[in-house]
Amino acid sequence: MSGRSSAQRRRNILLHAALAPLALIWLFPLWMMFIFSTMDDNGIFSPHVVLTPSTHFLENFNALEADTGFIRATTISILVATAYTLLSVTLTSMAGWALASYRFVGKGVVLATILGTLTLPYFVVVIPQFIMVARDFHLDNTWFALIVPPLFNSLGVLFMRQSFAMMPSELFDAARVEGVKEWRIFLYVAVPLARPTLAALSIILFLHSWNNYLWPLLINSQPAMMTAPVALGSLIGLTKVSWGGIMTGAVILTAPMLVLFVTLQRHFIAGISAGAVK
Amino acid sequence: MRQRTQTAYAFLTPYLLIFLAFWIWPIINSFWLSFLNTRSANWTFNPRMTWGRLLVDPAFANALQNTLVILVIQVPIMIALATVLATLLNSPALKVRGLFRFAFFAPVVVGEVAYAAMFRLLFNEFGIINKMLAGIGLTTIPWLSDPNAAMAVIIIALTWRWAGYNAIIILAGLQSIPEDVYEAATLDGVSKVRQFFFMTLPLLKPVILLCVVLSVIGTMQLFSEPFLITNRGGPGQATETLGLFLYRQGFNAFNFGYASAVAYTIAALAIAISLLNLWLGRERE
Amino acid sequence: MAGVTLSKVVKRFGSYEIIHGASLEVADGEFVVFVGPSGCGKSTLLRMIAGLESVTEGDVSIGGRVVNDVEPAERGVAMVFQSYALYPHMTVEQNLSFGLRMTGHDKADIARRVERTAGILRIAELLKRKPRQLSGGQRQRVAIGRAIMREPQLFLFDEPLSNLDAELRVQMRVELARLHKELGVTMIYVTHDQTEAMTLADRIVVLRDGTIEQVGRPLDLYNDPDNQFVAGFVGSPKMNFIPALVVEGDGRGVTVELAGQERTTRLTQPLAGPAPEPGSRVVVGVRPEHFGDAGKGDADLLVNVDIVEHLGGTSFIYASTAGDYGLVIQRDADGVADAAEITVSIRKSYLFDENGKRLR
Repeated sequence: MSGRSSAQRRRNILLHAALAPLALIWLFPLWMMFIFSTMDDNGIFSPHVVLTPSTHFLENFNALEADTGFIRATTISILVATAYTLLSVTLTSMAGWALASYRFVGKGVVLATILGTLTLPYFVVVIPQFIMVARDFHLDNTWFALIVPPLFNSLGVLFMRQSFAMMPSELFDAARVEGVKEWRIFLYVAVPLARPTLAALSIILFLHSWNNYLWPLLINSQPAMMTAPVALGSLIGLTKVSWGGIMTGAVILTAPMLVLFVTLQRHFIAGISAGAVK
Repeated sequence: MRQRTQTAYAFLTPYLLIFLAFWIWPIINSFWLSFLNTRSANWTFNPRMTWGRLLVDPAFANALQNTLVILVIQVPIMIALATVLATLLNSPALKVRGLFRFAFFAPVVVGEVAYAAMFRLLFNEFGIINKMLAGIGLTTIPWLSDPNAAMAVIIIALTWRWAGYNAIIILAGLQSIPEDVYEAATLDGVSKVRQFFFMTLPLLKPVILLCVVLSVIGTMQLFSEPFLITNRGGPGQATETLGLFLYRQGFNAFNFGYASAVAYTIAALAIAISLLNLWLGRERE
Repeated sequence: MAGVTLSKVVKRFGSYEIIHGASLEVADGEFVVFVGPSGCGKSTLLRMIAGLESVTEGDVSIGGRVVNDVEPAERGVAMVFQSYALYPHMTVEQNLSFGLRMTGHDKADIARRVERTAGILRIAELLKRKPRQLSGGQRQRVAIGRAIMREPQLFLFDEPLSNLDAELRVQMRVELARLHKELGVTMIYVTHDQTEAMTLADRIVVLRDGTIEQVGRPLDLYNDPDNQFVAGFVGSPKMNFIPALVVEGDGRGVTVELAGQERTTRLTQPLAGPAPEPGSRVVVGVRPEHFGDAGKGDADLLVNVDIVEHLGGTSFIYASTAGDYGLVIQRDADGVADAAEITVSIRKSYLFDENGKRLR
């Protein structure tokens, strides 16, 4: 008995001894992002290793704001991510409902097309998207350009279809026999039951839009319509720039997502594992 | 189920319009573009200027080589690490589980720009990594100006960002393995290590394959890291990837035709490598 | 007013035919039970009456009106589902009223109906609860209540009791019978449980493989089955089937020899119709309760006793004959001797031809 439990204890110690240093290494970049955001550039590039916060955060923020108009960029990012999330959840859950609940002409074709093109790299579509939005319709540097084209993402369709398909269809049949219209069945029976899935999906979509870089970089290059990642990215690589300011921007972009992640970890993880197992 | 084509399309159409306009049409259009000479005022059919050029363009060959090097080194390291992480995080004996999960999963929510900026600063010649190396008496490394070191930074950054993501997926796979399989093995006197290699890994194979495929597709499109961390594929063209090459051709040179041919090459390679992986990992008799 | 007529109804999914032309008349106010093994098409047929499945060929009429293309809601039917199908995010009251609220009913009328329904089913104290706070039996009541709320002329039940435990099932069966009497409306009820069918139905419809095998009152089906399938399906324990060969027959009757017996065992039955050729194969059906003491019936069987189950009032003898045919024999408890071999008589039997059709 005691031999077995001491072997177990040894294993437990080994487990923590392996994981703890690795976890510290993993936390290090995030911690340093925060530390650097409180340092001026002399501090960042001083010959000493400093791992504790300093006092220059506001100064850094002012430099960042002067360089890029970061408040405006962040506001644009918040609005775009919110609008994108609401629209995408609405469109994809409606489509997912249709694919889960009805037999109809063309269903097989629609599903096969979505599944068949799922893993195609985004790069395949980015050039025609750019030509269409910027060149043909001159819609670059608009809200439309930021919000609408990325709505093609089919993750939500498959995610919601799965969720609706797992609900017992008798629930919906019961409402049908009672004469409830299909859109009301969707709205008052299906959607309330899908709330956990909707939460997970919303979080993933919001994160996706908030961090989106390539498309906003291409389509909204005017400073007045830049999103926060694009504005921050425009500073990287410039010679005369405040690194403290860049780190402050990085913290502003990252911290809210970390808070969301900690408070809604369950939904995040559900979203990621379901998103992968498309 | 009754057939309800009208109702179905009432729900489906709004999404379908977006899907067709911004996904299906571009896929087709891009294929067509890849045969056009887009350098002239009138775009004309001339695949020699696109597909033909791919075969002889040394810059493309360089980008392809760099991408494959990153793929071959980074993906196996990251998947192995993610598998180990998931297994350890799944251990019932683990204390302060929340903190460990946070440490490894948090990078998943950090945006490309923020983390790229961070790694660029960490690995700056006068950055904290070099200061720490010097502090323990090692030689400093010109991380971003040495071609091999720059490649290493990209690989380190990618691993930091994505290991947790893959661990989450593998963890979900682990948790779907019924507990009693392990209890039976323990009763049979099978050691924990052997349980991992002879039970866990085989049972996880489909999930791990999925992670490999997702990682291959992601790596083939690598763009933000070389664009931001190593300053547009530097030093020189040492870390230029296919994604970055495409960006340059498409949006600096505005050579849409050539860039589309590159895009289709990326897609074809991603699919081919994924299929190769699935084939290698298939169930054998 | 709300009789149901099926005429040559066919259902196909793609090229796969599930219902092969079913015709049936259900009178207004009747309680009809569709019974059959799983996969026989009974639920599909019910869902076609409800309008949840389309009709491939033939007509479904309710109250004299062909409703093939009428939406479920406009058919004036209410349906109770096997899984209860209660909306988990709504209270009992909201569950009851959901359909009426969604179709713009008058609020006062809805309140009146909720009160009436709660009264009929004695669930008034549950109205504010959510489904997960209810027991299985209570959920079942609410599901039935939701159907009553519509005040329909036709109730459809899809295996409503199969998720309940045995005791509750008996209780709910009695309640359903009471409900039918109280409301006096047409009810069509699907089940795979022949006991439910026997106890509830005015008439039973036996289905197999998408075909109606027989329609009749419970005791008629029991006493006078049309074929071997119905004979085997109705009654519990099942009817015993013993293969036999025709020895001789004329216009008045037939004599057969039972297969697999130690001694030659012959049985003679009167027939109204023509007798099968001597030498042809038939099946003799004997219900467990139709065995009697040796020498008191049409023929005697010598059987080996395998196991005896004593249920108190009656006992079941599981026995086999020399030819290894298993038999179930029902006897009074005091009529069972503790012997390895007994002789019983066949008091009443049925004859079926090679295709399972009853020989009368």
